[in-house]
Amino acid sequence: MKSPALPGLLENLRELWRFRELLWAMTERELRIRYKNSALGFIWSLLNPLVTILVMTMVFKVFLRNQSEGYSAHVLAAYLPYMFVNLSILDSAQSVLAAMPMVKKVYFPREVLPLASVLANFVHFLLAIGVFFAYLFVLWAVTGFGDSPFTWRVAFLPPLVLITLVFATGVSLIVSALNVFYEDVKYVVGVVLYIGFFLTPVMYFVENVWHGLPAAYRGIGFSLYHLNPLVSITTAFRRTLVKAGPVDVGGAEGKVPPIPFDWGYFAWAAVASMLILWLGLSLFNRMKWRFVERP
Amino acid sequence: MSAAIEISGLRKSFTISLSGEGSIKTAALWWRKRHIERVEVLRGVSLTVPQGECLAVVGRNGAGKSTLLSILAKVYLPSEGNVAVHGRLAPLLELGAGFHPDLSGRENVMFNAMILGLSRAEALARTPAILEFSGIEKFADAPVRTYSSGMLARLGFSVAVHVDAEILVVDEVLAVGDAEFEAKCYARIEQFREEGGTILFVSHDLDAIEKVAGRCVWLKDGLVKADGDVPKVLDAYRGSF
Repeated sequence: MKSPALPGLLENLRELWRFRELLWAMTERELRIRYKNSALGFIWSLLNPLVTILVMTMVFKVFLRNQSEGYSAHVLAAYLPYMFVNLSILDSAQSVLAAMPMVKKVYFPREVLPLASVLANFVHFLLAIGVFFAYLFVLWAVTGFGDSPFTWRVAFLPPLVLITLVFATGVSLIVSALNVFYEDVKYVVGVVLYIGFFLTPVMYFVENVWHGLPAAYRGIGFSLYHLNPLVSITTAFRRTLVKAGPVDVGGAEGKVPPIPFDWGYFAWAAVASMLILWLGLSLFNRMKWRFVERP
Repeated sequence: MSAAIEISGLRKSFTISLSGEGSIKTAALWWRKRHIERVEVLRGVSLTVPQGECLAVVGRNGAGKSTLLSILAKVYLPSEGNVAVHGRLAPLLELGAGFHPDLSGRENVMFNAMILGLSRAEALARTPAILEFSGIEKFADAPVRTYSSGMLARLGFSVAVHVDAEILVVDEVLAVGDAEFEAKCYARIEQFREEGGTILFVSHDLDAIEKVAGRCVWLKDGLVKADGDVPKVLDAYRGSF
């Protein structure tokens, strides 16, 4: 008698779909737990980015005298998706370990655990984007400052949000599965995400990278920089929500016009995200039966 | 009468690490000194449980009782052999494993019922009955961290018996409530059996087994040592001490 074969990826996805109500319930539970004992509740989720943007704007516009147009709006447009990915990964890293007492007793698709962490953050992300959008609109409608966010580009928002979700889910699955066996993973991930924040255009622009690189290595350097899918994803969010304006790249060049959006890099980010999701699902699927048996 | 559970040639082995926690450090050290061992906990168990039977499993610590139940609950994959479970199986969660301390009893009941396989609508509809059975309705909206262990056990048991399972798997948990609640549990189990439910339970309380079980299996070192009438198997088991 041979040992029973592991169910395949498709079968697992079907099983996950069967348990979708549990996934929604677990997501709701995460959201409830998060603010259960806090007075301000969801407002914290909005306060955090606002304070960050305030500090960044002060540092860049006042201390560093950066003259880029619409700086705060650009930072926020990139900060929200970056933070969504960041928090999803950090929350899901602990998700399986935290639920161990339950995992050891009951069967349910283990994927539900990291997915609920990602979805809970996704809900916040969507709300934050909504609030940001409303803010841009009200600002434009009332004071005439800036531009209306209602442009044809808004049509790109749903697929863009989806690609971000795919990327966050893929990485979260990988990290949560590995973290069960090696708790070092979450520390490594913490460092990578911290460095990733600087290697993703959140507080600066891709134009800064292009003009900052030495002319001889510009092409290759810019492409290497775009290997990180979050570079195109955050830039796409900026171009969708905020009108691109002249960017202050410093040095002799000063203010330069924005670089046209590169669809090639964006296509890479989309494909890479899907590959990562596929890798995450396969890896998680292979490892999940050993979660309860970790040595 | 058809079988609720069919197990044939079931084997389960675990890898245990003698060098402590799983970490990259340990992994890096493995190539030098392999501090891992395979332990075979179940070594070829075959068992058929007909529908409607109440089967007790006895055996010393480490005989493989809990491993057997965990495999039935689909928590572990068998290393070898076949396991077929016909019908919905609900494990009885000890002391409310899976309860979140910051959520209320009501919210936890909802969530646990869904983990045990109810849909959202079903869980919602059954919550009042579950709370009533547990007898802690008064505290239903207080966070579970304020509950005593007895209250947690009551709530955990109540959820498990209300999810319409056809097979109930109980791992040494009935001894937590007070006498009144214990009587209620046994009454409920009796009702469950009358309705054709199958029960598989592990216990070290031999008197309780004599009271409820219809058949008894003695597991010893991962093998079925004896299987059959409750008094006969228990006598043999008692004689082994």
